[in-house]
Amino acid sequence: MATYLEFIQQNEERDGVRFSWNVWPSSRLEATRMVVPLACLLTPLKERPDLPPIQYEPVLCSRATCRAVLNPLCQIDYRAKLWACNFCFQRNQFPPSYSGISEVNQPAELLPQFSTIEYIVQRGTATPLIFLYVVDTCLEEDDLQALKESLQMSLSLLPPNALVGLITFGRMVQVHELNCEGISKSYVFRGTKDLTAKQIQDMLGLTKPPAPVQGRPPQPQEHSSISSRFLQPVHKIDMNLTDLLGELQRDPWPVPQGKRPLRSTGVALSIAVGLLEGTFPNAGARIMLFTGGPPTQGPGMVVGDELKTPIRSWHDIEKDNARFLKKASKHYEALASRAAVNGHCLDIYACALDQSGLLEMKCCSNLTGGYIVMGDSFNTSLFKQTFQRVFSKDLQGEFKMAFGATVEVKTTRELKIAGAIGPCVTMNSKGPSVSENELGIGGTCQWKVCNLDACTTLGIYFEVVNQHNAPIPQGGRGAVQFVTQYQHSSTQRRIRVTTVARNWADAQSQLQHIEASFDQEASAVLMARLGVFRAESEEGPDVLRWLDRQLIRLCQKFGQFHKDDPNSFRLSEAFSLYPQFMFHLRRSPFLQVFNNSPDESSYYRHHFMRQDLTQSLIMVQPILYSYSFYGPPEPVLLDSSSILPDRILLMDTFFQIVIYHGETIAQWRKAGYQEMAEYENFKQLLQAPLDDAQEILQTRFPMPRYVDTEHGGSQARFLLSKVNPSQTHNNLYAFGQESGAPILTDDVSLQVFMDHLKKLAVSSAS
Amino acid sequence: MSDLFVKPGNQERGWNDPPQFSYGLQTQAQTGQRKNILNKRVVPPQLGSQRAGIPSVMPITPPVACQNTPPPPPKSSDPSDISKPLQMPTVVSECEVNVEDVLTPLNKTLEACRTTVKKQICDDIGRRLKILQDMWQAGKLSETVRKRMHTLAQEMAQHNWDSADEMHRSLMVDHVNEVGQWMVGVKRLIAETKNLPPGLILPKEEGCESEEKLSV
Repeated sequence: MATYLEFIQQNEERDGVRFSWNVWPSSRLEATRMVVPLACLLTPLKERPDLPPIQYEPVLCSRATCRAVLNPLCQIDYRAKLWACNFCFQRNQFPPSYSGISEVNQPAELLPQFSTIEYIVQRGTATPLIFLYVVDTCLEEDDLQALKESLQMSLSLLPPNALVGLITFGRMVQVHELNCEGISKSYVFRGTKDLTAKQIQDMLGLTKPPAPVQGRPPQPQEHSSISSRFLQPVHKIDMNLTDLLGELQRDPWPVPQGKRPLRSTGVALSIAVGLLEGTFPNAGARIMLFTGGPPTQGPGMVVGDELKTPIRSWHDIEKDNARFLKKASKHYEALASRAAVNGHCLDIYACALDQSGLLEMKCCSNLTGGYIVMGDSFNTSLFKQTFQRVFSKDLQGEFKMAFGATVEVKTTRELKIAGAIGPCVTMNSKGPSVSENELGIGGTCQWKVCNLDACTTLGIYFEVVNQHNAPIPQGGRGAVQFVTQYQHSSTQRRIRVTTVARNWADAQSQLQHIEASFDQEASAVLMARLGVFRAESEEGPDVLRWLDRQLIRLCQKFGQFHKDDPNSFRLSEAFSLYPQFMFHLRRSPFLQVFNNSPDESSYYRHHFMRQDLTQSLIMVQPILYSYSFYGPPEPVLLDSSSILPDRILLMDTFFQIVIYHGETIAQWRKAGYQEMAEYENFKQLLQAPLDDAQEILQTRFPMPRYVDTEHGGSQARFLLSKVNPSQTHNNLYAFGQESGAPILTDDVSLQVFMDHLKKLAVSSAS
Repeated sequence: MSDLFVKPGNQERGWNDPPQFSYGLQTQAQTGQRKNILNKRVVPPQLGSQRAGIPSVMPITPPVACQNTPPPPPKSSDPSDISKPLQMPTVVSECEVNVEDVLTPLNKTLEACRTTVKKQICDDIGRRLKILQDMWQAGKLSETVRKRMHTLAQEMAQHNWDSADEMHRSLMVDHVNEVGQWMVGVKRLIAETKNLPPGLILPKEEGCESEEKLSV
C-alpha cells in the first residue's frame, strides 16, 4: 500500500487536501453504504514556499452559475483558442491576452503541476492590517505587569504600518484616543449597558457631522481620519502607546471582601466590534481580548460578583441551573456574527486559574477564525510565547496570518456539497451544487473564514448524487475546485485555486479499489469533526452511540469474516488503525466532559476544529515514542504495556508534552550515572527525548504544557490517563507474567472494545 | 551565542509551564526543518500484525560504554518528580562594554535626524536614550543586554538597518522587562534614520572592529 500512502502524502503536500476516499463510489446508494462519507480536509493556505504567486487575474468560466477557474483539467482547443470548463462543459473563448498560447506555450494554470496556484489580484484599495487590543485591568499586579510588557513587546512584532488601537475595561470601559501630542484622552462607557453599533459610533464621534458645504458621498479618506483618533499606525504611535501601556493601572474600583471584581467584558467587546464595524468594514482586522476572569456585569455576564456562587459547571448545565448561560452566549454570538460579516476576527487570551467564561464566549473565536488561548497567568512562558507566535513569519518573512477569506467549492455534477466544519460561517450561497442533506454548516457552497493561518483546516463533506442506474463510463473522474479569496498579510488580495480529481469506481465490481483508497487518518478526523459538531448540540451518550454504530457498520462492510465467528474477523491494512482512532476518540476530551470544566471542553474543541490533519490526529490519539538502549526511538502502542522500567517515553497530546522515565531509568538518573564518563550513552539516552520535545515546543501553537516526570511521580497521571488500560487492577493477575504498568481504572480497554466490535460486526443479527 | 538560550518556565504561576525559548531559537525553529518528526503509530495486536518483542531480562545498570562496571545503583528512595529544565549554557565573554560606545553613536544619529524629523519626536527619542543611559549607569541592565546594544549600535553605524531592527526585536522579546521602557526610542530612531534623505545620514563608520552580523 506504499503507493497509496505516497499518493496521499504528495497530494496533501501539493494541494493541502486529504480525502476520506481516493477512489469514489459511483452511485448515491453505494456511497451511503461506505459509511464514512466522501469528504475532505482542506488546508486552504497550506504553506507552499515553492509556489510563486502569479500576477494576473484568474480566467473564469463564462457561465453565470458556474464561474469555475481555468485549470489543468480543462480541455483546450489551441487552434480555436477555446477552453471547455470541466465542471459545466461550457466552451469559453480565451481572453485576448491569451492569444499566444499553444501546446508548447501554456500559461502556468494549465500545467498539471499547478493543480494549486495562487493569483495576486488588484482589487480595491489595500488597507493596512488592524489590531485592536481589548485589555482587562481587573488583574493581579504581577499579571498586569507581565501583560503590559507582552503588549509593549508586540509593538515591535507588528508590521510597522499596521493600525493599532486600545480599549481597556474593568467596571468601566475606556476607549483610548491615540495621539502623538503626549496628552492621553479616553472615552469612558458604563459597563452595564449594551449599546447599538449606531450609539457607539455616535458617542465616539465616528459618524460624520453632516457635511456643511456640499453633500458629497462619504469619502473613505475622511472616514479614516475620524477613526484615526482610535487607530493609529504602529510606526507613528509606538512611543506614546508604549507609555500609555506602561501607565495602565489596575481597575481602581474597590473590590469588597467576598466579591469578584466587576468586569465588563461584554460591553468592551461590543464596543470593539462596533468601532471596527463603523470604521473598517471588510478590512483585515484582529480584535484581541486579554482577560483574567469571567465577565461579571452587564450584557454577556457569565457569573455574578458574589464569590460564594461558583461559576457554572457541567453539572449545573445538565440540571439547567446555569442562569446566565443562554443570555450570555446569545450576546457573544450576536457580536461574533457581526464581526464575521465584516471580516474581522476575535481572539481570546484567557489567563486565570478558575474558569473565565470561554464556554459563553467561544463563538467569538469559533465563528471568526480567531484563536482561543487558555493559561493560568499572563506571567507564564505559555502565554508569552503563544502570543509571540501569533506574529510569527514564514520563510519569505511574511506574517503567517491571512484575513477575510471566502472559501468556495465547485464540483462536477455527480457530486453535491453537504457542508463544512471548521472556524467558518456560511455565506448562504445557494447553487446547483449544494445538497439538501446537510453535514455540518450546510446549505451553501461558500464559507467565510475571517482569519486563516497555514494550519487552518476545514472539513468539507460531499454527497454523491449520481443514480445507480446511470453508471459513469469507465475511466470517468469527478473533480472538485476550491477557490479561496483572501487578504494576504502584505495586504494584497490573493486567490488560491486548487483543482483535484479522483476516479470513480463501481462499488460492486471494484470494491477492492475503493477499499484500498481509504485514507484512515483523514477519515478518523472527518468523522471526529462530525462527532464534535454533534456534541455541541446533542447529549454526549447519543454522539458516542452514533460513532459506535458507524464503526460497526464500517467493519461489517470492509471486514473479512465468517458469519458469527468473531475470531475470523480481519481488517485490511488500509483500515488497520481506524478502530484504535475511534477508541481513543471516545475517551478524548472532545467527547467526554468528565474531569474537564465547560471552559476546558470549549478550549479543546476550539483547537480540534481548526487544526490540520496531523495535529488533529495527535489530539485524538496522542503520539507515544519509546527511547531505550536497544535501538533508535520507536513509536509504541499508546498502551499501559508500553510503560516499562528501562524505557523513557515521550508523549505528545498536542496540549501537553510529557516525558516519562521508567522505574529503572529513574533510579539510574537519581544515582547520577549520567554524570560518569563511562556512562556517556546513558546521558545521551536521557537527552534524546528532551531534544525531541524541544523541537515540538519550539513550533507548536499554542504552546503546550510541559511535564517531565517518572515512575511513581504524581504527574505520571497525564500519561496513565491517556494510555489504553490493557492492564488494570482488575486483571493484573491474569497478566502476571507480562511487564507493563497497571492502571487503576474501570474504563474499557481497547482489547474489550475490539472484542465487542468483532462480535457485533460478524453477528448475523445486526 | 548570547541570543540562543532556553529559560525555564514560570512554575510559580503556571502549572507545568513550558520552558521559554529565546527569539533567536524561535526564529530558527520556525524557518528550519524539523529533524525528527514524531508522527508514527503502531497497529494494535488485536488487528493482526506482530508487536516488537520486549527484552525480558532487565539489566541492573545502564549498559556501559567502556569496561569498568560500577556497583549497582542504590535501589528506591522516594519517587518524587524531578523537574529538569531544558537548558543550554549561555556563553558570555568577559569584555565589558562602555555606555558611551553605545550612546554616542545613537545620539549622533539622533542629531542627524533633527534636521528633518519633528522636534517632538526627536525629544521623545532623546528622553528614552536618557532612560537607557540612566539604567545602564545605575547597573540595571544585564550584561547580555549591554553587549547586544553595543552590537546594535555598531550595526547602525554600518547602516545595516534591517539587522539593527532585528536586534531590537530580539531584545524586546527576550528582555522586555529591562528594555521595554526605552527600546521603542531606539526602534523609532532606526526607522527615522532609515528614511532620512541620503545626504543627511551620517557616513558609515570606517574600520569598525567587527562585522558581527546577525545570521537570521
